[in-house]
Amino acid sequence: MSDDKKKNNHQNDDQDMIKLIENLNRKDDVNLNRRAFLKASFGATVAIGLATTPFGVFSYMRDADGKVKRVEIADTKELAIGESKNFAYPTEDEPALLVRTPDDQYVAYNNKCTHLQCPVFYEHKENVLLCPCHKGYFDVNNGHPVAGPPQRELPKILLEVKNGKVYAVGREVRHG
Amino acid sequence: MDKKRAAFLSIFLFLAVNIVCLTKVIESYYGQEYGHVYTYMTVALLSTLFAVAAFFIWRKEEYKKSK
Repeated sequence: MSDDKKKNNHQNDDQDMIKLIENLNRKDDVNLNRRAFLKASFGATVAIGLATTPFGVFSYMRDADGKVKRVEIADTKELAIGESKNFAYPTEDEPALLVRTPDDQYVAYNNKCTHLQCPVFYEHKENVLLCPCHKGYFDVNNGHPVAGPPQRELPKILLEVKNGKVYAVGREVRHG
Repeated sequence: MDKKRAAFLSIFLFLAVNIVCLTKVIESYYGQEYGHVYTYMTVALLSTLFAVAAFFIWRKEEYKKSK
């Protein structure tokens, strides 16, 4: 191999290094410049905005299915003050609890604890709703957690008392 | 503030709005508050439309050939 060819293959000046740095910078410019950053942000904006639509569609479908049912759940004479009764609402898979409070009010909640789904009971002596699994306490008047691990309120069942009967007429999962 | 800068910054504003709306939509969906789902979804879609408009305004200004 001639000396000239050797020189071509092994350049000892720092020309190559400059080129290498230049190339690296160029790649950075392509991937991380201001324009690319804005375009990526814009893409994220559109993607996140459009991600809300499936929830809207499913809500509409559920809304259409879940028309408010009016179900008779008890006779007013059936429960004395401070007593409770189990029933299911709005479907058979969703247990609920009707309570006649010491103030002579009817209240009802789905009685799956919002912590780990254990059944919630009415404690007459303390006038609270109690989940015995992990000692979660709920206020009987509004279904909100007052002590223990639960963080969310119990779904509230809307009631109507008419002609000596108690009817469930709807449900609010988030309330108050 | 010139048009290009305003469009540039507004995209980040719409991004923030959309993030908040998406979290609210998910929360409302699982809380079965369907009225809120529609409200926040509408806000998110409007915000997306405005972001598209802002992006095109920015792009037009950004790639305009300087005289």
